[in-house]
Formats: sequence, C-alpha cells, structure tokens
Amino acid sequence: MSLPFNRRSFLRGMLNGTAVCVALPVLNRFLNVNGSAFADGAKLPVRFGTYFWGLGLTDTPTGGTRWVPSKTGYGYEIMPELESLKPIKDKVSVFSGFRVIGDGRPNLVHWSGHASILSGVAPAAPDRFDGPSFDSKVADAIGGATRFKVLDIDASASRQPVSYSTRTGATFAMPETTPLVLYTRLFGAGFQDPNSGDWKPDPSVMLRQSVLSAVKDQREALMAGVGKADQVRLDQYFTSVREMENQLAIQLQRPEHCAACVVPTAPRETPRSATVDAVRANTKALAKLLAMGLACNQTRVFNFVHTAGISETYLAGESKIYHQITHDEPIDATLGYQPETSRLAGLVMQAFGDFLIELDAVKEGAGTVLDNSLIMAFSDTGYAKIHSIENIPMFLAGGAGGRHKAGQHIHTTGESVTRVSLTAQQLVGAPVGEFGSGSMKTARPITEVIA
Amino acid sequence: MKWHLIATAVAAITIAFPGSATSQQPSPSAKWTKTYVIEWNEPAMYYGAKTGVIDPGTDCPIGTNPSPDWIKVLVDAGYTLEEAKWLRNPANPTRSPVHGQNQMAFRGKDRANVYVNPTSTPDPGLVGVSGSLAEGLNLDGDENTGFTSPTGEKGIDNNFYKALGCWKTYRGPHRLSSGALNFNDAMRDGSWTTVIVVSGEGADPMNDNHVKVGFYVSNDKMVKDGSGNIARDYTFRIAPHAKYEGILPARTSNGVILSTAPADIMLRDPGYTRNLELLRARVNLEMKPDGSLTGYVGGYRPWEAVYKGWVNARGTVIEVLTWVQLPAVYYALRRNADYSPTGPGGEKTHISFALRIDALPAFVMTPDASQEVASVESYKAIAPKETATTTAVPFLVVDGIVPDRNAKVQAGPNAVILPPAAGSTKGPQ
Repeated sequence: MSLPFNRRSFLRGMLNGTAVCVALPVLNRFLNVNGSAFADGAKLPVRFGTYFWGLGLTDTPTGGTRWVPSKTGYGYEIMPELESLKPIKDKVSVFSGFRVIGDGRPNLVHWSGHASILSGVAPAAPDRFDGPSFDSKVADAIGGATRFKVLDIDASASRQPVSYSTRTGATFAMPETTPLVLYTRLFGAGFQDPNSGDWKPDPSVMLRQSVLSAVKDQREALMAGVGKADQVRLDQYFTSVREMENQLAIQLQRPEHCAACVVPTAPRETPRSATVDAVRANTKALAKLLAMGLACNQTRVFNFVHTAGISETYLAGESKIYHQITHDEPIDATLGYQPETSRLAGLVMQAFGDFLIELDAVKEGAGTVLDNSLIMAFSDTGYAKIHSIENIPMFLAGGAGGRHKAGQHIHTTGESVTRVSLTAQQLVGAPVGEFGSGSMKTARPITEVIA
Repeated sequence: MKWHLIATAVAAITIAFPGSATSQQPSPSAKWTKTYVIEWNEPAMYYGAKTGVIDPGTDCPIGTNPSPDWIKVLVDAGYTLEEAKWLRNPANPTRSPVHGQNQMAFRGKDRANVYVNPTSTPDPGLVGVSGSLAEGLNLDGDENTGFTSPTGEKGIDNNFYKALGCWKTYRGPHRLSSGALNFNDAMRDGSWTTVIVVSGEGADPMNDNHVKVGFYVSNDKMVKDGSGNIARDYTFRIAPHAKYEGILPARTSNGVILSTAPADIMLRDPGYTRNLELLRARVNLEMKPDGSLTGYVGGYRPWEAVYKGWVNARGTVIEVLTWVQLPAVYYALRRNADYSPTGPGGEKTHISFALRIDALPAFVMTPDASQEVASVESYKAIAPKETATTTAVPFLVVDGIVPDRNAKVQAGPNAVILPPAAGSTKGPQ
C-alpha cells in the first residue's frame, strides 16, 4: 500500500475535538536504498551537540604547545594531549589559533571564553551571557521533530549542576547529571519503544495535549483584547505552547521500527565523585545512554558538560584540584611546559575520546551515530595558567551526515572563535548567515571543512 | 631672511607622530611631545637563573620558595592530623574550587584569622633575595646602599624585590613570572589602560634638560592585532582621574629619560593592591629607535597595602596557588621596609619598589578628544569625583575569605572540623 506521505509531511487530525499537526520521524520508507539519504536524494537529518570541558589545553607563553599539531589540513599528527582522539582522528577536525575578541570588555575568567563561543559576544557580567547560546537556534532548526528538543547533560559531579545552554542569557538549562537520571528521562515514563509490538498512545500524553490545545483555542479571542506589547508576549508564549504540542504530538504516533535502537538496561546509581576517573566513567556512561537516545530518535540536539569552567575535578588521593594545578604549577625548564597540568589535560581529553567512541559504536544506516552527528567541543580558556582567551581549543567531530570534511587541522592567527561556531551551525543546517557581534561578528564559515 | 621665515613656518606645523623622534608640537608649553601606551608592566624583579621560572640562580640560590606542606602547616597550627587531611581533601564539601578552604584562615594563636592578624602566628619565613643584582632605581641618591644593576649602576633601591623576589608569583624572566602574566593579560584584555606623555622644551628630544613625564589613565581599551600583540599607533583619550596620575620632572640624555627631582605620584598597580602610590618617585625610561619606550618608574610604596591586596584577593586561594603563607609575606615586607614619610626616625611604612614598563607609540588625545596632547599637564582639576572602587571579583571577601552564606556552620575558631562519621563526605557545611 502506498501512503501519500513524504519526509515533509505532517500528520493532521483531531484529538479530543482539537486539530493536531504532527511532524514525522525519519522512516525507512523515506530513505534511499543505501540508508545514507532520503529517497529524494536529500541528506539524512543530522544531530548536533556541544561538548564542553574546563581549563583548556596546555600552551606556554613562549609558544610551546601540547595540543596544536604542526601540520595543517588532512593528516595532522596526534599531539600528546589529543592521544585519546587517535582511534577516531579522521572524524575529528582540530581548530587552533582562534580567540575571543572582547572589544574592550575585560576577560571574565572561566566565563568569557565559552560565553563568546556560544553567544557570539564577550559577556559583560560573569554570571550571564549577552545573548542566547546558539544551540538554541540549532534546536529550533532541527530539534522540533523529536521527543526532546534538546537534552542537557552534566557529567562533572560539581557542587552545582552545570549548563551553559541558555535562551535568554540569564537563565541556564537544568541538566541531567547521573546515568540513572538520564536513563529515566530518555527511557523511563513517556518513552515509546520503537521496536515494541503492542504500542498504544499514552493517555497521560493525550490528556496533557488536550489541556494545551484548549489554551490554544482561546488564543485569538485573547489576542484581540490586549495591547501590542502583550500581543508580543502572548505570541512568544503561544509559540512555546505550540512547540510543546508538537513534542507531545510525536508521542501519539507509533514510532517507526528502528534497528539501531536497543533499549538499554537501567544503570545503577553510582557514588557521586568529582575525581578524574569518576567523571570520566560518568561521561562514558552518559555518552552510552545519549548515543542510544539519539539512535532511538529521542532528541537531535544536546549539550554535554564534562567539567565546568572552574573545574572541580581532581586525581583521587591528591589534595590539589586540577584547576589549582593549572595555576600554581611552574613551567618545567627542560620540558618547556607544565608537566602535571598537561598530564591532567590528557586525562580529561580521554573522556572526550570515550564520548566520541560511544557515539561511533552505534551503527546507523551505512555509518554510525557519530557519522550522522556534529559535535562542537570547546573549552573556556586557552592557556589556563593565565586564563588566556587566545588559542582556545575547539574541535568539530562527526560527519554531520557527510557535510563535514572531517579529519583536518585548521589553524589561524587570532581570528574569532565565532567562525567555528558559525561553521558548526551551518554544517547542521541551521538557517544562519552570520554570527556574533562587534569584532566577533562573522559571516565567514570555515569553508575548508564544509563539503 | 627668507630662510628664517621658512624655519618659523615649519616650526608651526602641527604634526605629531606617536613615539617618533621627529614629532613636533606647536604648543607654547612644549617644543616636542611623545606619547605611548603601556602594553606591559610588572614589578622589576631581576631573575638570576639561566632557565625556567623557579630554578636556583644568583638571586635565589635555592630556587623559588617551594609550596608549603599545608598538612604540616595546619598541624603546626594546632589541628590534628586527621583534621588537617580532611580540610585539604577535595571531597570535603567545605572546600570550594572558587573560594578555597575557609578554615585555612584560622591557624593563628587560639585559631585567630592570620590574614587580619598575621602576627598571631610566628613568621613562617619567606626566603628573600640574597643576590647583589637588582633592577630598579637609585631612589635615595646613595650609591652605597642597595643593589647593583645588571648594567653596573650602584645604589639600586628595590627592597620589594629583596623581600618577595623568591616568591613564585614574582619570580621569573622578563614577562614570564606568573603574576606578571596574569595581571598583564587582564590589562591587555581591557581591564585598564595607562598612557604616557613625554614633552620637552629643548630642540633635541634625545638630549633635553627640561622634560616632563606624565602618566595618565585612559578609558579606551588597547586593541590587539591579528597576532595577538597590542597594536601600535592606536588612539587613546586621557581620562582625568582624581587619583591615578603622575607627573615627573626629567631630562633626556641620549634618548634616556632620567628624573631630575623626585615626585609623589599614584599609578594603577598591575596587581591586587590596585593603588600604586609612589613617594619620591623617579623614572629611567629609554626611548627606543623603533618608537617604543622601556624602563622603570619607581619610588617608595606603602608595604601594608601590598599585603592587604593579597589577602583581599581571597587569602585561602592565593596561598595555595602561589606557594606562600601570607603571614610570611607580611613579615617579609615589614622586615624590609626602608622608608618613612615622616623622616629617618619614623616608622618604616613604605618599601622601595620599581615597576618595569614596556610601552608602545600611541596617539594620546586630550580628554575632550579635540586635539592631541601637546604637553604634560595635570588633569586632576577636571577629574570627576572619585567613587568607591567596585571589585571585579563576583564574590564578597571578608577578612580574606569568602563566607559561605548557605553553610550551616561557618569557618572560624570554633568550627567543627571532622564529619560526623569517618569516611562520610558529609562534613560540616
């Protein structure tokens, strides 16, 4: 039987007397025979995620580096602090030499770096951004057809949950912080197993949608009776309501069978600890769940924090935390860098390697979840000893559905970090022509990595 | 006759070149003016080692003062070994990655706060400089006191260096000590800007007996070029400041600017003290052929303000990051203080000090930006009234610590140290 649907179709109907408009998930019938594109030739939708770790990588003020390859383009050499990327090097592009340009705004330590990367402007205050983080724009562009428009995850076991995702600049997302909590969010109540044979719509979802739809029904009458400013506010409100309706509506549809989706077993609750090993284990466990969450089409956008800008992680048994060591360790005269800081940076990057490998381990179509994703990884600082916002390490990992010409080292001298941010947005199809403001405003993506 | 008229006309042309030896100004008060922006400044701390930043050298024969054994420090202060280990354990919930371990402050007699009462503990000992070389200036005019400069000049007065030159914060080659890197990075990223104006009355800027040097604040931020270096020839407006201004009489000799008389000035300190008050200040600055300016401004600065600057930067954090016990800094500064404003018999409240400066040529404009400055003059009379200084740090420091407002038990002399059960991570909040 042939159904008159394509990948742009919506399911339309009535629910409890209310019209419902439902976007469709990616169905096999929409794909080509290779599983690499839609039948009409368009690329598969990609996932986008940010991965943040605190305290940068190791430079020295005299020009030494433990992470910047000397070779640019394809075939860059693996530097000591990038050792963990070796197995997936061809799927990771390295960006060096990019900096934050504050236009006279002071460097707010452990804040200006990632605030600028994510919002495009150096922040004026140390507890807020001067604009939304761009992941929210990406989520608006590609995250509307899944159960969770965006997922925020924090592996750091910090004293306070850490997230740098914000729509307002003032309030930040509340992340999932443990594997059990993330599992429950992804695969607990509300999860619809795409491979289950006895799927039924969730009555609680139906009820919630009815409530929201009832609000929608009164919209026009309410809008007509208020002033222009209130109309703007109401429009913003109803927009968010519509977004939620769309998210809920997805749960009313039988999910397409998804071979890559294997519902994992619930993880055990583990003791909370900020040691390097514990955070790495937490990262790996959370990444495994996230990878399956992506494969099961629960979300297409995520933000992952390994450690905060002011990282709290430390080696078990040591009294100094990593953050302290970056500042207080002198440069070894013979080696030319801070050896303990560099060792810790390498350990922290092992977690990033684990993260990517988990995404690469889930086969999907002709490739892997990583191949159909783009992860922009970055830190808050370059040379952490002095809170430098020059040469902030940045990476783009994953194939972005074939759009990312991965495996390259791109080096510039003093160009804005926002060029990498803009590149990431364009690689995943966000309708963004330029990004940032002031001296960091750019309309120049890094074309070398765009297919 | 004709040549005389032409020469007069040329002298009246107003073209200024920042830092250029050929710049001319038509001001009635100055025949020539050179203008700069400070792109780097740090305490003048001669580094006597050949390599590294902490290695033994002629300045510090046993190297930089090592990191204290904080467990031992706490035990010596009366804490049990178990308490000391728990206080230093990163898993201790009272130990903040931002604020440190507040209880560290309470290690004086009867667990007094050593930051506000440094003499409540014996001098922990900060090994000072034992070498004979130092950078800086001869402040007292006596060649028989002080250090010898690396170029052989006698009588260099720099007891600040003598006291703190083996402290990791200050020790290292030019532009490489951790303190200099931190503070200059902040300045270069826009925290503050200091401009220098030099003007003279003679025909030859390189050799002029009537010169003035002015230090001013600008609210215009420095700009970096594509390589991350501070851009030359950028334009800055002087921002009249009620406090931060310094004008010194000088002369030039073969391009070197030398004070002719001391002056009392106040500059913006590249450090936590913020106010760099210099009594009997002098300069020794060289105008380089490439247009830049390098050298020293120095004088006697209040030493206790230096100590308090470090305490108010969160003593608990500063101590562990910079390998020092702050009471040792207090004792070292007090021990080496060498100047009393009230006379030779007065209390030594000040210590000799020199700031090493690297400045680039820049265009410096009058406060209203109507013209380039044509001479060195004071703008204090038109400065806005000074308002309370706001701190750049996003937390409230009280007595050297950041109190945790939400804690059930505050750090202090009577704080409960150990958690209720061994191995528990639920210690006193």
